[in-house]
Amino acid sequence: MSNDINRLLANPVSFLADAGPNEDIAISSRIRLARNLAGHRFPVSADSDELHGICEEVAHAAITSGALGCPECFSFDPENMDELDRELLLERRLASRDFLNRSAGTRLLVRSDESSSVMINEEDHLRIQTMVPGLQLESAWRVIDDLDNQLATRLSYAFDDRLGYLTCCPTNVGTGMRASVMLHLPGLVLTGQIAPTIQGINKLNLAVRGIGGEGTDNRGNLFQVSNQSTLGESEAQILERLNTVIGQLVAHEKSARQLLLQRDQFSLLDHVGRSYGTLRHSYKLSSEEAINCLSGVRVGVDLGMFSALDIHTVNELFIGTGAAHLQKSAGRILNAVERDVSRAALCREKLKL
Amino acid sequence: MLCDVCKKNEATIHIKEMHGGETHTSNLCAGCAAEKEKNGELSALGFNLAEMLCNLGKISSVAKPTRESSTEFTAVCPKCGWTLQKVRAFGGRLGCPDCYAAFAPLLSEAIRNVHRGSVHLGKRPQSMPQDGRTALEAELENRRHELDALVKREEYEDAAICRDRINQLKAQLGKCSPGEAGNE
Repeated sequence: MSNDINRLLANPVSFLADAGPNEDIAISSRIRLARNLAGHRFPVSADSDELHGICEEVAHAAITSGALGCPECFSFDPENMDELDRELLLERRLASRDFLNRSAGTRLLVRSDESSSVMINEEDHLRIQTMVPGLQLESAWRVIDDLDNQLATRLSYAFDDRLGYLTCCPTNVGTGMRASVMLHLPGLVLTGQIAPTIQGINKLNLAVRGIGGEGTDNRGNLFQVSNQSTLGESEAQILERLNTVIGQLVAHEKSARQLLLQRDQFSLLDHVGRSYGTLRHSYKLSSEEAINCLSGVRVGVDLGMFSALDIHTVNELFIGTGAAHLQKSAGRILNAVERDVSRAALCREKLKL
Repeated sequence: MLCDVCKKNEATIHIKEMHGGETHTSNLCAGCAAEKEKNGELSALGFNLAEMLCNLGKISSVAKPTRESSTEFTAVCPKCGWTLQKVRAFGGRLGCPDCYAAFAPLLSEAIRNVHRGSVHLGKRPQSMPQDGRTALEAELENRRHELDALVKREEYEDAAICRDRINQLKAQLGKCSPGEAGNE
């Protein structure tokens, strides 16, 4: 397993490193499906024996159906992993905090390119996930729909004619689908339009969260927009609704950047330049400062200010500067100061022009 | 224990009422409780159970009974033994797939409030063939709720689209004999 973690660390994170449509503003698209096995209690009420049985049944289904490229997929048992390795899975968005905190019968299966994964015994028996770069929810849907069908050939899902897929929390019942897009919205933040925009999106029954999971968290100017309702619409209808709103958000962000360029060009250029200067010449960088400066440099790349700098290098630093990634790369536990020093060294190195 | 109303199904919902020091217990199956809830008989017991569950589902803010009430509601899932107290303790989460039937009267209203409809319109496992008539009837009911809501909000353009869909569904149902499979 520790070998799997090291192989994972050596992987470029495909949803950040590869090109995707509208990638200047939409960083990545993710779809998750919640599924449960018929005849079993949900993880919240199942005992350890039942959880282990479910875990084996799902893992066996993945291997025999060839889902996720198994048996060549990565397989992790969080209960037997050390804290640092578990944090690494969290930073790579392969596992949720809730999943890692569970004590028994959990397993994470990951396709070797990390584009798809299955958390076994999170809140539901299966949380299937697909992530792709840029704004391409339809393409993510095709991948996850196939994966779900593949697993369903070996598993009997809990399904009701009227309510659809039955989930532990009634807020996920129906399609069991949560689709989300990670957006970089510095224009809307700098022009002060982000708060009314979030309010408007919330009224459309969609959720907006910062990268820390809260709507008020502006760190890195990164926001995740996702559907809230999972019942009463088909998957295609939900994705279309989300796509339409995100298309409008992308257009608003572009207008906001144009407005900034027209109204106060030098302030924007100064913001980008200072962000780059901080990352390129600092010797100690906190996580928050790094992420905010990376956002500034990303704007500069979009504006064509850094012809030698690739946007995917900046994207990868959003994850590479995470505490667990820095410590795994160093091969040892680092204290807070050592992490800040190590983060600064990584940014200086990666952002050389 | 059998349901007091239909005397056929197992009672999974037990309601205790106290009037002038006397206790009266009703034991109901999920179907009869749903019927009573639909007729407003359960809501009259002092607090809206569905609203409470909805609040639970929406993340754990537990709505307290609105007035001092001596009504005690207990529902137990016959499959996993999950209780309303556990639903509350675990932020609206259920114990097993059968809890949806056991807590049906509570869930129906809550689900309508949380979601954009009360009927599944998405994919289904390939091993479970769709009963076309049930699906059409379900969507028709769903669209009627939607139309009411749209008219209340004075969103007439969307209401017109919804009305057209209702007419289309009625026409499809007219052509589809009972039990006949068909696509939505």
